Amino acid sequence: MSLPVPLRKRSALPGFGVTAGITLAYLGLIVLFPLSVLIARASALGPVGILRVAMEPRVLAALQTTFGISLAAAVIDLFFGGLVAWALTRYRFPGRGILDAIVDLPFALPTAVAGIALASLYAPNGWLGRPLAAAGFKVAFTKWGILVALIFVGLPFVVRTVQPLITEIEREIEEASATLGATRRQTLWRVLLPPLAPALLTGLALAFARGVGEYGSVIFIAGNLAYVSEIAPLLIVIRLEEYDYTGATAIAAIMLAISFLMLLVINLIQSWGGRRFGHV
Amino acid sequence: MSDLALSSNAGRPAASVVDESPLLRLAIIAVAVAFLGLFLLVPLVVVFVEAFAHGLGGYLQTFFDSDVLAAIRLTLLVAAIVVPLNTAFGLCAAWWIAKFDFRGKDLVVTLIDLPFSVSPVVSGLIFVLVFGAQGVLGPWVTARGLHIIFAVPGIVLATLFVTFPFVAREVIPLMQSQGRAEEEAALTLGASGLKAFFTVTLPNIRWALAYGVLLCNARAMGEFGAVSVVSGHIRGLTNTIPLQVEILYNEYSIASAFALATLLALLALVTLGAKSLLEWRTRQSDNRGLPDVAPE
Amino acid sequence: MWLPSEAASLSAPFPQEHAEAVVAPSAPQCIEIVGISKAFGGHAILKNVSLSIEPGELVALLGPSGSGKTTLLRIIAGLETPDEGTLRFGGDDAIGLSVQDRRAGFVFQSYALFRHMTVFDNIAYGLTVRPRRSRPGRREIAKRVNDLLDMMQLPGLGGRYPTQLSGGQRQRVALARALAIEPRVLLLDEPFGALDAKVRKDLRQWLREIHDRTALTTVFVTHDQSEAMELADRVAILNEGRIEQLATASEIRARPATAFIREFLS
Repeated sequence: MSLPVPLRKRSALPGFGVTAGITLAYLGLIVLFPLSVLIARASALGPVGILRVAMEPRVLAALQTTFGISLAAAVIDLFFGGLVAWALTRYRFPGRGILDAIVDLPFALPTAVAGIALASLYAPNGWLGRPLAAAGFKVAFTKWGILVALIFVGLPFVVRTVQPLITEIEREIEEASATLGATRRQTLWRVLLPPLAPALLTGLALAFARGVGEYGSVIFIAGNLAYVSEIAPLLIVIRLEEYDYTGATAIAAIMLAISFLMLLVINLIQSWGGRRFGHV
Repeated sequence: MSDLALSSNAGRPAASVVDESPLLRLAIIAVAVAFLGLFLLVPLVVVFVEAFAHGLGGYLQTFFDSDVLAAIRLTLLVAAIVVPLNTAFGLCAAWWIAKFDFRGKDLVVTLIDLPFSVSPVVSGLIFVLVFGAQGVLGPWVTARGLHIIFAVPGIVLATLFVTFPFVAREVIPLMQSQGRAEEEAALTLGASGLKAFFTVTLPNIRWALAYGVLLCNARAMGEFGAVSVVSGHIRGLTNTIPLQVEILYNEYSIASAFALATLLALLALVTLGAKSLLEWRTRQSDNRGLPDVAPE
Repeated sequence: MWLPSEAASLSAPFPQEHAEAVVAPSAPQCIEIVGISKAFGGHAILKNVSLSIEPGELVALLGPSGSGKTTLLRIIAGLETPDEGTLRFGGDDAIGLSVQDRRAGFVFQSYALFRHMTVFDNIAYGLTVRPRRSRPGRREIAKRVNDLLDMMQLPGLGGRYPTQLSGGQRQRVALARALAIEPRVLLLDEPFGALDAKVRKDLRQWLREIHDRTALTTVFVTHDQSEAMELADRVAILNEGRIEQLATASEIRARPATAFIREFLS
């Protein structure tokens, strides 16, 4: 026979009611109510209505652009971010401290500032745009511009997720692998990398999720040509300006659903990693 | 433990025989530095270089424009409203979550984190759906002659949403790890709950709180997507600094756009510096508490 | 070459088995250490240490913290390179060999098991990383691993993960993993350091039995003098980077060579 689990334990500290009330009220008012309105409107449209909007050629193109390039940027961030995390954690070299702090720049820098900086940089007469143009690459106002911007915003997600795990790698594990006859490459591949897999995947998912929703960093460098280099968030804004609430809601609902899906995926990765590797 | 003088200095021990070859190490460092330099450092530098394209005079000239000044004022106003509100909320939520046990705690924390997962444009859209002309409360708003969307209140609401979790996220984990013992001790000594909070809790979390406030403020001042949706871009009235930067850039006043952007870039650098400082402090206090481990 | 061991009897905690000795591919090898010195950051950890270990001998490196015993062990393994001196296994120079090529089985104090691999994969690891030419087939690997699991009295635990094992079990898996590669010598760093007193006593006896069966030249590091005296054929007492005495336990007790040893033993 078990005692009923109390909803909360009696605590000596005061203020439970007050703080609970304020927190929930504020949370409900600012976050839950507005989000629920979106969800309600989207539900009113129903999956059929949303799909109809999603299938419009322009919307489809925007969604493809957004998801496709976000994924590509996240994968690039995964590779280079992994290298960066490794170098920053395991090696000592001049400027390491500053570079480590700079990794957070995309977190800290407002998106509009990043946006105009990247646009200027890669414009045909920009510092990087000019040499690239001479080599035959056009970056600004094309899909490549979007890729560059999303690589920028996604990088810290990979690096910061992986770094703590690299720090925790026990030296003796590597030594054990070596005493058993493994080459450095075998050690990296079979002993060091697998426990990092959950963190790497989490970083990938986070970078992807961020890239999908990104607006300010992208619209200056993107070109924003319908069907070609238009991202989904921009299309939402355009629909709103046309007072097409329905269209905007539908696209937003899709993006929200993807965001929540990514949250779920990340949680699953974390719990899988926890079970499989003993810790994440 | 092995009897190497490994942990005598902080950080990674000297290269061991089992590490990758020096050549490979150099290559990885080169790639990492080049990547970071190219993708992160150069854009930052561009902001400042372009801002001074017309010299110091041109830079300062930017700030004499009335629209620019209005943008700065509006940004400061929004921050002045949003940051205290979200800070108060963050502390309130942290007290509730850290000092009490109750079911559903995980859910509450997840809900608080929700704005992080929502795209900025969607964050603005939801307020249009509530207060816009065709919104849920649209008729109610117009009936009373209120202006929320395409006016300052809308900007404040959208900014409240996107900066919602910042203070809470910094403070909650810390308060949870600090436990309740000190506050309970204060109570036994006769302090009221509020007094315990101000004299015991706050000092314990002051650095994390300061950093959370800094992050909240930086985001409040720098938010672009959400504010862009709700603002209406009315010159001199509903443009924050990021929006004004966009206007200047699109009008080809490039140097002015970057000049205005330097304000936000400097804020970002201050934020990064504060983070390093906070981490350094945390490392110090962590190390002070550890017992000495004798080398073998 | 592996000879089959009979099934372990489970009636007693560490029963005497009829198992055949595990034979290393060549006869047990002697370890010759001559004039080894090592300094870290200007501080001398080992000062001109010389030591000769007979084939098949079980030698303890005993000493207080900072005496250099673990550094010496790691140098034998190849995890550290000495500043001066020579090291030979069975007459062959070992210093020139990398860690990977040296085939010195090493059991770490913290076991250093690969947490993301099963017990089976941990033990099989040293065999699976061999280049294709010298790698045994899957069935042969499985047989060796299972033989070792039996020998370590861990039958059927091949599918478990290290986090699911007790400290004593993990230690035995670490030992099995080191033995799987048919090492030339076996090195143990504070093998019982992380275990509680009762388990330590049981495992001491058991380690002696394993040594007798494998007939490997074995060196282990400890700061526990009763452990060293009870287990080892000979004990090398180190202090501040020098070997103060190298002799059997009874001889050390009867005739301690220096005042330090007298004090250390009391």
